[in-house]
Amino acid sequence: MRVEDHCVGCAYCMLVCKFEAIEVFGKAKINEEKCVKCLKCVIYCPVKAVKG
Amino acid sequence: MIAVVGAGLGGLLAANLLAKEGYKVEVYERLPFPGGRFTSLNYKGFEISTGALHMIPHGSRGPLAKLLKKIGVRVEIIDSKPEGEFLWNGERIEVRRRVFPLKAILKFYKELAISKFKDRTLDIFANSLDDFTKAFLNSFLGWSLSIYSEDITFRKFYEIFKQTVKYRGPGIPIGGCKAVIDELVENLESMGGKIYLRKEVRGIKKSNEEVKLLIEEWKCFDGVISNIGHKLTAELMGEKVNLPEESRGIKYTLKLEEPFLEHTGVLFIANKNIAGMNEVTNADPNLGKGVMLQVHQPFKGDARRAIEDGLREIREVVGKNFELLAVQSFSRDWPVNRIKAGSDLGVVFKERIVVVGDGAKGGDIEVEGIALGVEKALEELRRWI
Repeated sequence: MRVEDHCVGCAYCMLVCKFEAIEVFGKAKINEEKCVKCLKCVIYCPVKAVKG
Repeated sequence: MIAVVGAGLGGLLAANLLAKEGYKVEVYERLPFPGGRFTSLNYKGFEISTGALHMIPHGSRGPLAKLLKKIGVRVEIIDSKPEGEFLWNGERIEVRRRVFPLKAILKFYKELAISKFKDRTLDIFANSLDDFTKAFLNSFLGWSLSIYSEDITFRKFYEIFKQTVKYRGPGIPIGGCKAVIDELVENLESMGGKIYLRKEVRGIKKSNEEVKLLIEEWKCFDGVISNIGHKLTAELMGEKVNLPEESRGIKYTLKLEEPFLEHTGVLFIANKNIAGMNEVTNADPNLGKGVMLQVHQPFKGDARRAIEDGLREIREVVGKNFELLAVQSFSRDWPVNRIKAGSDLGVVFKERIVVVGDGAKGGDIEVEGIALGVEKALEELRRWI
């Protein structure tokens, strides 16, 4: 999983991630160890900054 | 048939009004949920708002409440009490006209007279004020508009000020922003309107008699209501528009052990980056499993540095005894306001295409402005449909 530079940090991805794999302070940061690649963050990102 | 692009508050209000008049309406939403930046997502037992602060600026009396009533949507709005307090030198002062010096009020009327023939930016007025009134004005601008005094002219500010005097302060919808959205969706569907989630509109083409949208394939409509702002609407038509700047903000959602504000109003903060806070669980305990404090901070430039400043200030004001549930920043393509308050563009985009929602507001704050803009946009659209 990859977060592109145009992430605004709205944290929708963090709010919908069931695995507590995302932290957001200004930009999203995905913890690859916790991530199961369910792609929920990708479909909830309003600016299409999270790429699977 | 009318298409609405985007199921935000503006799009859903417009769709409901048209469906009520008997039009066939289809709403297309790119994201998996309706409501845009005016709803909430449940996280650790708390309804974390996607943008707005679970508050309606003019409560049960304002333009949005009136429009919801007109549509026939029932939402209970608890009017804030007190409407606002101001944290000044460690003391909380209830915001009333009489706490401001007479001199400041006289200066206000003087600037109002000047504004009749010369439209100056608000910072000129702000800098002429005493420290107390100036600090309050800045906090108010930061909290309700996410702007600084140099960003708006006195005339535009006065338009908003008049609305605030007329309708007064905020209210909290029971069930939060999401309750308003849920009701609008249910009401629209009961009238035969359709909402499609995870369906992105990828192109717009216009001829004299109709507008075509590229959804999965090209589909014809008599009119289109765009709830995605002027910039994206233009891009879908293969065009470009020059826009005024957007306004940026950061929202912190905190879980507290004990209520800090202990009321349903706003606490404006003097002379800090953070502009104000509210504690909406005092009006509706179902918005969180515990006390939920929301803090709002406007910012320019880099979000990460602004967040560091904001968190330090929150600890100064609230103390250290909290759990930070979420820090959300809003800028660029997903801002607080697509266009700074007071600079909103018109509602007509092209013949048969109108814009509603953020960026196409009428002369009022946030969702109240959206409600006014929607009514204006539909008046225009009726010429063609």
